[in-house]
Amino acid sequence: MTANPSPSASADGSEPPKDSSMTQVEEKSVSSKEILSVIDSLKKQVAANRSLFVKERLEENRKKLGDITSHLYKSSNERRSSWIGDTDSASDLLTKRQKDAIGMQNGIDLSNGDKDGYSYQEPSTAVLMGSSIPVKNAVRPIKLTEVKKLPPYTTWIFLDRNQRMTEDQSVVGRRRIYYDQNGGEALICSDSEEEIIEDDEEKKDFVGSEDFILRMTIKEVGLSDRALESLAQCLSRSPAEVKARYETLMKEEKDVGASENRDTEAQNWNSFLEKDLEAALDSFDNLFCRRCLVFDCRLHGCSQDLIFPADKQNPWNHPDEEKAPCGLHCYRLALKSERNDTVRSPMNPDDKSNSSSDGIAAQISSSKKSAGPSARRKAKSSQSESASSNARNLSESSDSEIRPEHEESSPIPQLSPSKNKIAGKSGISKRNSKRVAERVLICMRKRQKKMAASESDSLVSGCVSPTDMKLRSNPRKQNEDATPSSHKDVKSSNIGRSRRKDWPLKGVQGEVPSSETINDLALTSSNDCLRREEFVDENLGKEELSDDKSWKAVEKGLFEKGLEIFGRNSCLIARNLLNGLKTCWEVFQYMTGSDNKLAYHAADGGLSLLEGCSKYDLNGAMGNNEVRRRSRFLRRRGRVRRLKYTWKSTAYHSIRKRITERKDQPCRQYNPCSCQTACGKQCSCLLNGTCCEKYCGCPKSCKNRFRGCHCAKSQCRSRQCPCFAADRECDPDVCRNCWVSCGDGTGSLGVPPQRGDNYECRNMKLLLKQQQRVLLGRSDVSGWGAFLKNNVGKHEYLGEYTGELISHREADKRGKIYDRENSSFLFNLNDQFVLDAYRKGDKLKFANHSPEPNCYAKVIMVAGDHRVGIFAKERINAGEELFYDYRYEPDRAPAWARKPEASGSKKEDGAPSSGRAKKLA
Amino acid sequence: MAKTPIGLEPVVGSLTSTKKREYRVTNRLQEGKRPLYAVIFNFIDSRYFNVFATVGGNRVTVYQCLEGGVIAVLQSYVDEDIRRMSLSTLNEKIHKSFVGHGDSINEIRTQPLKPSLIVSASKDESVRLWNVHTGICILIFAGAGGHRNEVLSVDFHPSDIYRIASCGMDNTVKIWSMKEFWTYVEKSFTWTDLPSKFPTKYVQFPVFLASVHSNYVDCNRWLGDFILSKSVDNEIVLWEPKMKEQSPGEGTVDILQKYPVPECDIWFIKFSCDFHYNSAAIGNREGKIFVWELQSSPPVLIARLSHAQSKSPIRQTAMSFDGSTILCCCEDGTIWRWDAVPAN
Repeated sequence: MTANPSPSASADGSEPPKDSSMTQVEEKSVSSKEILSVIDSLKKQVAANRSLFVKERLEENRKKLGDITSHLYKSSNERRSSWIGDTDSASDLLTKRQKDAIGMQNGIDLSNGDKDGYSYQEPSTAVLMGSSIPVKNAVRPIKLTEVKKLPPYTTWIFLDRNQRMTEDQSVVGRRRIYYDQNGGEALICSDSEEEIIEDDEEKKDFVGSEDFILRMTIKEVGLSDRALESLAQCLSRSPAEVKARYETLMKEEKDVGASENRDTEAQNWNSFLEKDLEAALDSFDNLFCRRCLVFDCRLHGCSQDLIFPADKQNPWNHPDEEKAPCGLHCYRLALKSERNDTVRSPMNPDDKSNSSSDGIAAQISSSKKSAGPSARRKAKSSQSESASSNARNLSESSDSEIRPEHEESSPIPQLSPSKNKIAGKSGISKRNSKRVAERVLICMRKRQKKMAASESDSLVSGCVSPTDMKLRSNPRKQNEDATPSSHKDVKSSNIGRSRRKDWPLKGVQGEVPSSETINDLALTSSNDCLRREEFVDENLGKEELSDDKSWKAVEKGLFEKGLEIFGRNSCLIARNLLNGLKTCWEVFQYMTGSDNKLAYHAADGGLSLLEGCSKYDLNGAMGNNEVRRRSRFLRRRGRVRRLKYTWKSTAYHSIRKRITERKDQPCRQYNPCSCQTACGKQCSCLLNGTCCEKYCGCPKSCKNRFRGCHCAKSQCRSRQCPCFAADRECDPDVCRNCWVSCGDGTGSLGVPPQRGDNYECRNMKLLLKQQQRVLLGRSDVSGWGAFLKNNVGKHEYLGEYTGELISHREADKRGKIYDRENSSFLFNLNDQFVLDAYRKGDKLKFANHSPEPNCYAKVIMVAGDHRVGIFAKERINAGEELFYDYRYEPDRAPAWARKPEASGSKKEDGAPSSGRAKKLA
Repeated sequence: MAKTPIGLEPVVGSLTSTKKREYRVTNRLQEGKRPLYAVIFNFIDSRYFNVFATVGGNRVTVYQCLEGGVIAVLQSYVDEDIRRMSLSTLNEKIHKSFVGHGDSINEIRTQPLKPSLIVSASKDESVRLWNVHTGICILIFAGAGGHRNEVLSVDFHPSDIYRIASCGMDNTVKIWSMKEFWTYVEKSFTWTDLPSKFPTKYVQFPVFLASVHSNYVDCNRWLGDFILSKSVDNEIVLWEPKMKEQSPGEGTVDILQKYPVPECDIWFIKFSCDFHYNSAAIGNREGKIFVWELQSSPPVLIARLSHAQSKSPIRQTAMSFDGSTILCCCEDGTIWRWDAVPAN
């Protein structure tokens, strides 16, 4: 790139097309030459602009910097004057020396050279040097007090649990340059050439100036293939790219005008309520680790597969809540009032499951009843609510609200809405549905606006009332003048259920509005159709309610979650999930409505409701039956670089610690399977050779599951314990006698409790982090060492060897680097991962190797994860240094780790190791 | 390296010397046989603007520049530990020994606004912030987002007290902010307990990461809000970090200017600026010095200094307060003093 605005570069690059154009017949109005000249001039312009820009920026910066430096200069001058006050930490001696120095400086002849009293912490040496000769090496050097040098180490971060490597930590695919201590200069180390050309494919964005050239050129010479070609050459891109860019540019230009007019209302709609619950839950799905029960788990990472256990928990069932209405808007109350026409939906869970005599009685009575609504009402309430007088008050207070429904529906006895409901949308509803839908829509919109206005109201009153009712019912019982309050409730509930609000006249309550509506209806009833419409409006409204109009996406999502959690219990769903958003009755309507829709959609008259119900389950709780892949749009922070590597040196292994002498049997990494039935041949765990764990999808009866232990006496410390024998820690969730208590509040949190039979599991130390205090200090052997603070007995758990979990490939790459530095913290964990404690780990990483160690390392499966525990091989006294055998693969052990030949060890390796060794697991 | 898109080309200085200012050698002294790796003037205390120090081997020597090209040795310290370090601007010598780095230290700088804060770049892949007065290691800039290899150079932002830039053998320049940790910095001034008990914090993520170079980055300095850095590509690069507010750690780099330095393709050659950052001087592999006017666009080469006897690689130069004196220390252990020839 030339710096100055010279077109030479572009001229060079564009020569070939020029030639070709010369030979061609110049039939086009614009020759390539002209195009090129246009581009060239534009380029010059751009370059000139650029240098101008740089100049301006520098000038700007210079001014700022000038201020800063003059400020600094000032402060350095101030420091001179306020010197003594400044160095308050300096001793008097220092101050004196300063004065001396200044005095000397003033007094001494310039050519003579002078000195400063550079004070120094050792008073004896701080005496001013005698007249220093202005030439070389005449000064006796002061020896600094020796500070014992620290053994070298690389700064590292403490980890209390293993962490999976994030992508940006990878060294694979990155070039690394080494400084050769002996050779003097650097050498580049990378696996292949391809790794170096990494950013070539990265798509470059068009920068502003390129856009400028592009636009101006085309503006001047028109859009032709030739122009595109020259442009492409000039911008070193393909013509297609250039063209595409041009088109987007043009589009953007147009859009600029349009976008300003765009109404912002649509944006306002995008409040959180409009958002899908799925989207809202995305962070939960992506970031919550179901194994560690924490967000942003560093071990298992985000975006794990969602695995749902086949053994489903039963929906929440609370016996006390079964019968009593949950509040003012409980569907039970509403249902009862409608009983005469609306035969209770068999889908109603508690009706289905309980089919209480109470309910049946109510049904009978209601069907019998066609007399005055008040009588019916009373009868009903007395019947259903006879159990609790509180509830009666409740129901009565809510009567005024329920009433209109009766009134409206009563004039049309011939039409059985129950049919309508059960059979899905019957013919009538079908016929009317369109019209009705329209009407409803209009109404709804109106109401919704109102609702929005009074939302805060209804939020407060609506949500408070159900819960409040219970509280209030007590005072009401005692206080008979509760009517005003109940009226209030009614009103507020009316607002909440805004559909009612249109009918009752303002200020009139109870009987009056209802009778009026009756009259109204009676009048209009001459028109059968209209009346029907009204009615269907009423009924369908319930269904429509459940439709998209009033149920926002998030509410629907919440409802579905509610179904999963509570089953078909609208009371609980409304109270716990849609508190303040929907009333129980609305939830109930939505529930039945969506059932109906389902049945309707099935277009099968014979489709039983039960089936519909189950189908609903299928749809609603869809996630249960399949493993959902979590959406991946939430990424971990940090830059994710594209990695590209060729793997040429698979045979090349680095030094790693390991645990057993066995060379070829690494543990297998466990990944939960998603089997929904007992694991068969397809089970990923089975194929992988691991046991199924509690995180698997398969039912507990799965034969591949590890069953835990039933130890009674051994304290799970010997091979008699199946967990111990399998190199696993006991799991309180799985083992029978291995429990963890919450502690007794005296600081013994998490200590396995002494059960009645005095059983205490001793095989959960890693899980409970019951490690020993390890100290870091200068090793007696070399470098750093790990020491023990307290005495421990044999086989005592000392601590965990933590680090980054990296792949074997990554480990090999890193190993090469570490071997160069002759210190490796790699530790083979299982077939998939290697632990690297180089940058992240804990103090046990400093424990040195010894052929006669006092500790041993063991890979243990803890709650599905492999972890490395360090255990005492013998009794270790406080302050002793810890050693363990790294168990390097014999031919890869570094020289210092080999057993002395004299000891006649079986580890024989002839060839000097190529330098790659690793701790093996 | 990716090709620079049109319109974002840096302005490259021309190597024709303008001879704006002329320098001549006024002194030359041999400190020892060992290579000198660093030389630097004191910019902190205006009384001692003529004091400089050199580092080579395990010895730190403090000198004073006097008129007429005279250099006076003031003091020298020998330490078993120091291998290669460039002393920060000398200051009152409340000498304390700082223990903490796991390996040798490559550069130390003093915060000009608060001279008791120093920052050190070490071979142990970390950058540490120290309080000289209390001897506390306040912050460690290392960890998940830290350097992946030796840190070679570090510099305080001239005005933004929270900000430092570091660069090293992992080819990156990282900008760190200690804003969120400033309480600890303040705490360090009043700490009375043992320094080792201070709750030293890790700053794991830089606020900006720039891959301007494709090889070791051995020197970086702030120039206002811009950064001057150099690798082994025969040039000093001036660039502007453009951070994205939303996503820390990411951003783009706008390379503004380049100052070519021929024969400067080995690493650990550091440049230096005068107090007001008007000019910078850098030596090269063949013992020549290039003096660039930093803040003009396009850059102007003020002078090219060469001497028949200066053949050894110049590891670092030092410019005096006003740029009138340039010192350079060489691989062969010599110190050269160049003084500006006063204009007629």
